[in-house]
Amino acid sequence: MDIDYRETVRYLGYKNQAADDAVLALVSQCWEELDCTASPRSFWREYPLTAAGDEIDAGVFQTRSRALGRNLRGCERILVFAASLGAGVDLLIQRYEKLQMSKAVVMQAAAAAYLEKYCDSVNEEIRQRYEADGWYLRPRFSPGYGDFPLECQTAIVAALEAGKRVGVTLTDSLLMAPSKSVTAVIGVGRTPLACEVKGCEACGKTDCEFRR
Amino acid sequence: MGILETVRKRKLFFDGGMGSLLVAKGLQPGELPETWNVTHPEVLQEIHLQYLRAGSDEITTNTFGANGLKFGSDGEFSLKRLVTAAVENARIARERFAEERRVLEDGASADVTCGAAETEPCAYIGLDLGPTGKLLKPLGDLAFEDAYKLYKEVVIYGAEAGADFVLVETMSDGYEAKAAILAAKENCDLPVCATMIFDKKGKLLTGGDVTSTVALLEGLGVSMLGVNCGLGPVQMKEILKEILKAASVPVIVNPNAGLPRTENGKTVYDIDADEFAGVMEEIADMGANALGGCCGTTPEHIAKMTALCRNKKQILPEEKNRTVISSYAQAVEIGRSPVLIGERINPTGKSKFKQALREHNIEYILREGVTQQDHGAHVLDVNVGLPEIDEPSMMEEVVRELQSVIDLPLQIDTSNIEAMERALRIYNGKALINSVNGKEESMRAVFPLVKKYGGVVVALTLDESGIPETADGRIEIAKKIYRTAAEYGIAKKDILIDALCLTISSDSKGALTTLETLRRVRDELHGKTVLGVSNISFGLPQREIINASFFTMAMQNGLNAAIINPNSEAMMRAYYSFKALADLDPQCGEYISVYSGQTATLGQSAVVGGASAGTSNAGVAGAEGVNDGSFSGAAGTSSGTGKAAGASAGIAAGGKSTAGSQSSAAAGELSLARCILRGLKEQAQAAVRELLTQRDSLAIINGEMIPALDQVGKGFEKGTVFLPQLLMSAEAAKAAFEVIKEHMSSKGESRQKKGKIVLATVKGDIHDIGKNIVKVLLENYDYEVIDLGKDVPPETVAVAAAEYHVPLVGLSALMTTTVPAMEETITLLRKETPWVKIMVGGAVLTEDYAKTIGADRYCKDAMASVNYAEEIMQKQPQVSAGRSL
Repeated sequence: MDIDYRETVRYLGYKNQAADDAVLALVSQCWEELDCTASPRSFWREYPLTAAGDEIDAGVFQTRSRALGRNLRGCERILVFAASLGAGVDLLIQRYEKLQMSKAVVMQAAAAAYLEKYCDSVNEEIRQRYEADGWYLRPRFSPGYGDFPLECQTAIVAALEAGKRVGVTLTDSLLMAPSKSVTAVIGVGRTPLACEVKGCEACGKTDCEFRR
Repeated sequence: MGILETVRKRKLFFDGGMGSLLVAKGLQPGELPETWNVTHPEVLQEIHLQYLRAGSDEITTNTFGANGLKFGSDGEFSLKRLVTAAVENARIARERFAEERRVLEDGASADVTCGAAETEPCAYIGLDLGPTGKLLKPLGDLAFEDAYKLYKEVVIYGAEAGADFVLVETMSDGYEAKAAILAAKENCDLPVCATMIFDKKGKLLTGGDVTSTVALLEGLGVSMLGVNCGLGPVQMKEILKEILKAASVPVIVNPNAGLPRTENGKTVYDIDADEFAGVMEEIADMGANALGGCCGTTPEHIAKMTALCRNKKQILPEEKNRTVISSYAQAVEIGRSPVLIGERINPTGKSKFKQALREHNIEYILREGVTQQDHGAHVLDVNVGLPEIDEPSMMEEVVRELQSVIDLPLQIDTSNIEAMERALRIYNGKALINSVNGKEESMRAVFPLVKKYGGVVVALTLDESGIPETADGRIEIAKKIYRTAAEYGIAKKDILIDALCLTISSDSKGALTTLETLRRVRDELHGKTVLGVSNISFGLPQREIINASFFTMAMQNGLNAAIINPNSEAMMRAYYSFKALADLDPQCGEYISVYSGQTATLGQSAVVGGASAGTSNAGVAGAEGVNDGSFSGAAGTSSGTGKAAGASAGIAAGGKSTAGSQSSAAAGELSLARCILRGLKEQAQAAVRELLTQRDSLAIINGEMIPALDQVGKGFEKGTVFLPQLLMSAEAAKAAFEVIKEHMSSKGESRQKKGKIVLATVKGDIHDIGKNIVKVLLENYDYEVIDLGKDVPPETVAVAAAEYHVPLVGLSALMTTTVPAMEETITLLRKETPWVKIMVGGAVLTEDYAKTIGADRYCKDAMASVNYAEEIMQKQPQVSAGRSL
C-alpha cells in the first residue's frame, strides 16, 4: 500500500508539524514491513435498520445513542463491518517493543494508518456497489465513538462470526484482539449526504491530542 | 469397529452444517445454539437423523460453542447438562436410524447391526470442540492453560456421555488447537481428529501454513486431520493438495456450501447442492479420505455427495518421510539442504549471558535470538541451564518470550526433564528437542515427551558405556535408539542422529570418525543427522578456521542440521558456498544476493564472536548521513521480521562494516550530547568510548548525557520534540550507558540505581505500549524497573510492591472498561503497601479521573512519569567502588 506519511505522523502526535528525516525513514521502513506482514481481512453484512432518534435497532444489536442516531438519520439499512490486519502485525509491534521502542511506536502508528486506509478502500468498494443501485452510505461509525456503547461489540463480533472470518476476538474488557482491528456500522439511505463529515471532524472530543 | 478402522476401509462421510438449520427452525439472533440441546432436543435429533439418512457415517454434537466461558457450572444451561444432552441427542438419532434400517432390511443383512453397542455402530458420534472465541496470550487475554481447562471440561462430559471420538474443528490458531488436542488426549481415550480453517492462500489466521500445521497436529498425535469452514469446496482443492503432500494420517475435507454473500441480511452461497456434490467427488478422487460439509451445507448436500462418492476407492496417504519442525508461523524441513541451528542462547562459557540469566534480563536473551535470525539461523537452540537458577521456570519463560517475538522454530536444549516438558507444553509448534541418548534412562524419560507433545529429537550416539571411538559403535547406538523410539511410536523421521564430534586436539581421528558416522547414517540407516560443529576445534587457536572447514566436510558427508554460531562470518561462508557448490542454491541466487554487495577482501574480515545487537539502528544511521529525501530502500530494512533472513543476512553484515566506518568518522565530529539529541546509537557509543579515554564515567554521565536527556525531555514537554525522537534519544543514551557500564565494571566499579519502580498494565488491559515507553525512559534515568507486563491482577501488583518494597508504582490502562481494574489495584495497594506512591496514565485518564480513583499523580506522558519519579526519589546518581557486577 502507498505510504501515508501524513496520517502516520499524526498518530505519533505531530499534529501539523513536520517530522524529521530519521522519523520519516522509520515510517517508510515500518510501512514496508507491514506490507510483508499484514494480512488484511474484512467482512460485512447488511441488516434492516429501525432508528427513531436515539433508539436504534440494527437487527444484531439494539442500543440508545445520540451520536449514532445522528449518524444514521434517514437510513433504512445498516451494514455491520469488521476488519483486521491480523495477528502478525501485533507480533511485529510486540517484537519492536522488546527491541527498539522508537520503532515500536512508529510501527504502531503506521499500522493504525494502514488499517484505516485498508478500511477506506473496502468502504469505497461497498459505496460503489450501493450507489449503483441508488443507495448512499453514511461514514463508518464504531462502538466507542461518542456515546455509541462499547458493549455493542459483543453482539457485532458474534453476529459477524468475526472470530473465524477475520480473526477479530474480544477480551473480557471488550478490547479487540488482535489490536489492529476495526468494527463499525455504516448506515445506508436513499439520499446522499450534502456534506460528508467523518473521522475527527465528526467527533465531539475537541481537545484530543490527535485531532486533525 | 471404530471410526479409524472404518476410514481405513472406505471413504468416510461426515455430516454438514448445523447453525443454518437451527436458524431455519427458529433459533433467534443472539440465542446460543447449544441451549437448544435441552430446550429443543427433538429438533437436534431430527437434524442428526436427516444427516444419517443422507449417508453420513458420523454426526457431530451441537457443542461447537459449548465452553465454560459461555455456560456456568449449574442451572438449566449448565455446561455439563448441555454437553451431555448434545451427545444424548446424537445417540437417540442414531438409535432411531438403526431402527429404520432394521425395518428396511428386515434384519436380514447382518454385517451392520446399527446402534447395538456390542457390534459395529452405524455412525460415530463426534464430540465437537470449536474455538473458544478468544485469542490466546500474548496477543489476547486467554492463557494457554486456561484454554486447556475449558476444553478439558467439555471432553470429560462428552466422553462420559458416550461420544465416539473428539472432533477439534474450525480452528484458525494452531496454539488453541494444541490446547484442545492436549485436553482431549489427556482426559479421555477416544481418537482425536482436528480440522483447521485455512484462507485461500493456505494460511491460518494466526499465520501458520499447511506444512507447519500438519507437523503440529501429527506431532500431537491426531488420528485424522484436515480442513473445514472458511472456504467452499472449489477453493479447498488447492489446500487439499498441500495437505496431501504433508500428511501421513487420513485427511478430512469439510467445506462450506461455497463462498458466501449477503442478500437482504441473509447469507447465500455461490454454488448449489449439485455443484457441491460434483466438486466433492473431485475432492474424493484427489485423495480426501473423509468428506462432509460445514456452514450452509444441508442433508441435501450430503445426500448428493454420498451418492457420488460412496463407491470411490479409499487410498490412504502414504507415510511421509519428511522431517519437519515448526513455529507458530512457519515450518522448517530438515532434509538435503542443511539447516542452521543458532547456538548462542546458551550460557556455557559466556559470562555476560550468565549474568543476564542471573539478573533475569530477558531482553538480552531476545537480542541474542534476533541477531542470529538476522544472520541467517533457521532454528534457535535454547539452553538456559545454570546451577543457581530455577531452570524449568526460566526455560518456560524464555520459550514464551522468544516465541512472542521471533517466528523461527526453537530447539529446547536441556537435560532437565521438567524444564523440557514445561517448554514443550507451552511451545507453539513442533519443537526440536535436544536431546536423548542411547542410555535406557534417557530414552525412558525423553521419548514419552516426544510422543506426547510431538517434536523432532536430537539423539546422541552415546550410551552407558560412553562415546564409542569408532563409527561402528555409534551406528550401533543409533540403531538401538531407532528401535527403542519405534517402541514408543516415534518414527525414524522424527529423530536426528547426533554423530558427535570429539576435539581433534585430543584425538586426531576424531573428525574422520564423525564424518564416517554421518555418511553411514545417511547411506545405511537412511536417517537424518545433526552435529554441534564447533566442538571439533576445542583447545585449538583460531577455532573458526577448523570449524568452517570441518563444517564443509560434514555437509559433504551428509550432515542435515548443524548447531553453529550464525554470527560467524566464516561459518556462513562455508554454508553459502557449500549450497552453491552442491546444487542446493539454484543459479547461485542466494550466494549472489548475500555476497555480491560485499567489497571487503576475504582475509581481513573474519568476524569473531557475536555481532552487537544494534543492527536495527542502521536505518536511522543511514538517514542521518546524506538522505536526499528518498525514503524507499533505506538501509536497515534487512533487519526486519527476518522472513528473508537467510538472503539478507549477508547484506546486513556487509552493510554494517561500511556503516561502522562511517559512524567512527562521524563520531569525531559529533559530540556525545549531540549523538543523544539526534538519537544516533552507534555514534553515541563511539563518542562515549572516545570520551572515556579522557574523562571519568561520572563526569561523562553528569556532564554530557544527563543534560542531553534533559534537553530532549524538555523539548518533548514543549512540543518541539516528538515521541519517536524522544525514544531514539533514549535508545542512544542507553547504548552509551552500556559502554560506560562495561568500562566501570572492568575497573571494579558499578553505578547505583536510584531506586526501584514497579510498572504494570492493569488487569483486563492488553495494550501496554504506553507502559513500555515509560519503562524505557525510567531506565534511562537510572531507575530499576520491575515490569509486571500487561493484564496484571491487583494482587500481583501488591505482592511485587511489597516484595521489592518500592516507593513508587506506575499503572497504565487504555480503556474506560479497564479503569475500574486500575481503581481496584489502587485500593489494594493502599491497604497492603500504604507507603507506596502511585502514578497512573493511559488514553482515557485525566487529572480528575486519576484523583477520583485515588492515584497520587496523573502522568499525561512518559516524561511526566520521569519527573514524578525524580520528584519523589533521590536525584543524584552515585558511584560506589566495589567488586564488579
